[in-house]
Amino acid sequence: MEWIDQLIREAEKSVDEVEVFYVVGTSVSADLRKKKVSHASTSEDCGLGIRTIHKGRIGSSSTSDPGRWHECLKAAIASGNLATPQEWKGLPGPEPLDQTSLSFDRSLDVGPGTAGKLLEAMLEGAAEHPAEVTSGSAGVSALEVTLASSKGVRYTSRHTSVSLSLEAIHGQSTGYEFDHSWALDRVDPATVGERATFFACESAKGKDIPTGDYDILLSPLAYAELLGTVFVPALSGRNVHAKRSRLAGCLGQKVANPLISMYDDPHLPGADGSSRWDAEGMPTQRIDFVRDGILSAFAYDLKTAYRYGKESTANAVRGGYGGSPSIGHHNFVVDGKRDTVDDERVVFVHNVVGAHTANPMSGEFSVELSNAFFREGGEFQEPIRSAMLSGNIFDLQHQIAGLSRKSRTIGSLILPSVRIKKQHIIGK
Amino acid sequence: MDAISYYDLRHVTGEVTHIDIDNGVVESAGTSFFNKAILRVLVRSGWGVLQIDNFTPCTGRKFDALLERAARLAVITEEQVALGDVTRSQLPVPPLKEDPREIGLEEKSALLAEIEKSATLPLIVNRRANYIEKFEQVRFSDSSGNEFTYAMGRSGFNVLAVASRNGNIQMGYEREHSIHGFNLRHRQDVGRKAAETAVSLLDAVAAKGGKMRAVLDPELAGVFAHEAVGHASEGDLIQEGSSVLKGRAGERIGNETLTIVDDPSLCEFGFDPVDAEGVAVARTEIIRRGVVNAFLHNRESLLAVGNGVAGHARAMPGEPPLVRMSNTFIENGDSSREEIFAECKNGIFLAGSRGGQVDPGRGVFQFNAEYGYLVENGECTKMVRDVSLSGEILSTLHQIVLCGNDRKMSPGYCGKGGQSVPVSDGAPHVLLVDAVVGGNGMD
Repeated sequence: MEWIDQLIREAEKSVDEVEVFYVVGTSVSADLRKKKVSHASTSEDCGLGIRTIHKGRIGSSSTSDPGRWHECLKAAIASGNLATPQEWKGLPGPEPLDQTSLSFDRSLDVGPGTAGKLLEAMLEGAAEHPAEVTSGSAGVSALEVTLASSKGVRYTSRHTSVSLSLEAIHGQSTGYEFDHSWALDRVDPATVGERATFFACESAKGKDIPTGDYDILLSPLAYAELLGTVFVPALSGRNVHAKRSRLAGCLGQKVANPLISMYDDPHLPGADGSSRWDAEGMPTQRIDFVRDGILSAFAYDLKTAYRYGKESTANAVRGGYGGSPSIGHHNFVVDGKRDTVDDERVVFVHNVVGAHTANPMSGEFSVELSNAFFREGGEFQEPIRSAMLSGNIFDLQHQIAGLSRKSRTIGSLILPSVRIKKQHIIGK
Repeated sequence: MDAISYYDLRHVTGEVTHIDIDNGVVESAGTSFFNKAILRVLVRSGWGVLQIDNFTPCTGRKFDALLERAARLAVITEEQVALGDVTRSQLPVPPLKEDPREIGLEEKSALLAEIEKSATLPLIVNRRANYIEKFEQVRFSDSSGNEFTYAMGRSGFNVLAVASRNGNIQMGYEREHSIHGFNLRHRQDVGRKAAETAVSLLDAVAAKGGKMRAVLDPELAGVFAHEAVGHASEGDLIQEGSSVLKGRAGERIGNETLTIVDDPSLCEFGFDPVDAEGVAVARTEIIRRGVVNAFLHNRESLLAVGNGVAGHARAMPGEPPLVRMSNTFIENGDSSREEIFAECKNGIFLAGSRGGQVDPGRGVFQFNAEYGYLVENGECTKMVRDVSLSGEILSTLHQIVLCGNDRKMSPGYCGKGGQSVPVSDGAPHVLLVDAVVGGNGMD
């Protein structure tokens, strides 16, 4: 890609440093309406993001048309002129990193046939229970990401992804399941279909429960919804220093039950987000945010680290090619001593409605339960029709009393089901 | 390969300008560009869709090749699709009072900084303001010879203030977005309001959950209309069977006083001059005087479901059109705000929105207020925080017993199928009886 070198040479005439993020990819998806495939679509994606740094002023711009890189570079430099200058000690130089991709399925055929087969397998699984399938989707994609900088970095990696979901209804009871991975043989379409219709059917028999305090078991999905909205952003160094995090000033303190550890492991074999460098070209490493319940670290990118006199933890990520890199994580793992969590009677919560309406500062939340059941002796018992759970996401971490043996990947979070003592549920 | 019975092409180019100021520091400011198109081709067995970045308009053989590529995708589709007959016309885009593109980034940044600075108060530990401006040039054409072209811009800002005292941390958040042009001048009042809300919330008590009478302010009642009724009335959900409103046309689900409307022709933040399928936009009364009256449709769901009009298809640039809300609101009733509070007598007043979510198939929704007050003897007394409302669509609408006469619209964004589109929601003040209020407060 000669034009990238050209771009960098051109940029160096006006600015101290430049970073180029370039992504090209293809994706194919197919959608179900009821049990029939109604749409098949393909997209050719392309994006260029440029970041310039000059005397501590950071500028950025992006375009979906790399042919317009001159204009995009000009816009990035102009944007930098407006930014408040900050302490900046330079982009990282190149490291001899292994460039074999960690999340690339060479055998994945990015075509309508693959998507069609995934839908078929989901429908087969769904047929195990008498709920109606209402919609579903399967998608496959492959993309190549290039990161280049005026410091001589030239990293290229390839990624694939497979995602699928199915929605079902039985009377007025709904069920939803999904799965995703970088590799085709790591998703389980039949189980996605079976679980979606299972939840729709079983929850249809749900009964109301009285308001009261219950021991609950949050599924990885329900836990991820709550954790991802409030707790994970509170670990961002930027939010901490900007005083937008309740965890600011809590380093070394207990922020969760000693059972719980939370870390980012960018080299986890088989995980979707594994990568040897971050979005700024920093070599990635494991970061332990919470060790046995004690808050041990926050996440930093270069910009935040330079500004506050810290070290980058290689936690820069890009949501796409637009904007600048920001603080995130690669594979966020919740771990700890595993146990059986559903021997004694608990309210099992498969999913929640409204997690994103939680108070991102204080952590207060109030959500409707979806597909809730009593669980005992490792088995589903009576389904619960409708109930509301209120609490505080920060306090909840202290009240966790057990982690299930198995974990599940939900987006970039990898987490078990968690058993939590005495939570207030508003029934009917 | 099956013969192509219909195709349409929607090509959108444009630019996005943003400014982010965090505690007095200009974090980033600048402009980005995009060029995206979507080509939908209908064959006997369903849709083949091509999404193209950096589209260059083309004709003849080159265009035929694209059509063929899209049609080939439909090898795996198996649904016979028919499209409803629709009205074609385009509304004029309202003129901009002041065109943001004629104002330099530096001036915009200085004005935003003023707003951000105005969110300063004792106990405020963080202020953040964002400006966003997006201009789109849209070109639509289809195989029936319809062609529409328009340019439209949206701009506005958000301001966040965070207050902190002894480990208690609260926020105030305000947003102002418009299709009528530049709105950053003389708006320090908005920053101040965010700061005042955040500081007041430090002394608010956690709401105690339970069933009670609730007055909703126009913004939150608008979110209620959007979450509890709007999504469930989307024709595609009705068609696939995942809405509790399916088969309920003509059924009474609310009181006489309740009329809920979606109107993309209204010059509010969710305005569209023509929809994403090139169909004329029109007002749809979803609930008329308490009775399910009509659904929101695209061409396909109109024919499959009926009851309503098409013109509700919307899309992000380069993405497939989906049935979406635009400007959704509860119509004015005839009660005054005073009458509503007097009738509430003892209960809770909920204001502002932190968003909401609905499961339209199950008919269960949840949404959260930014703050509230206890209502005692018709008067607002103690401030409460973190208070939410949830319920079931089919029973909750009956609980709206009074609608005020002071409707106001609030701008926002709504997500569906991975796409986020500009919308506005609104309502007058409304009174609910037996509202299920959630909160973490104790006796």
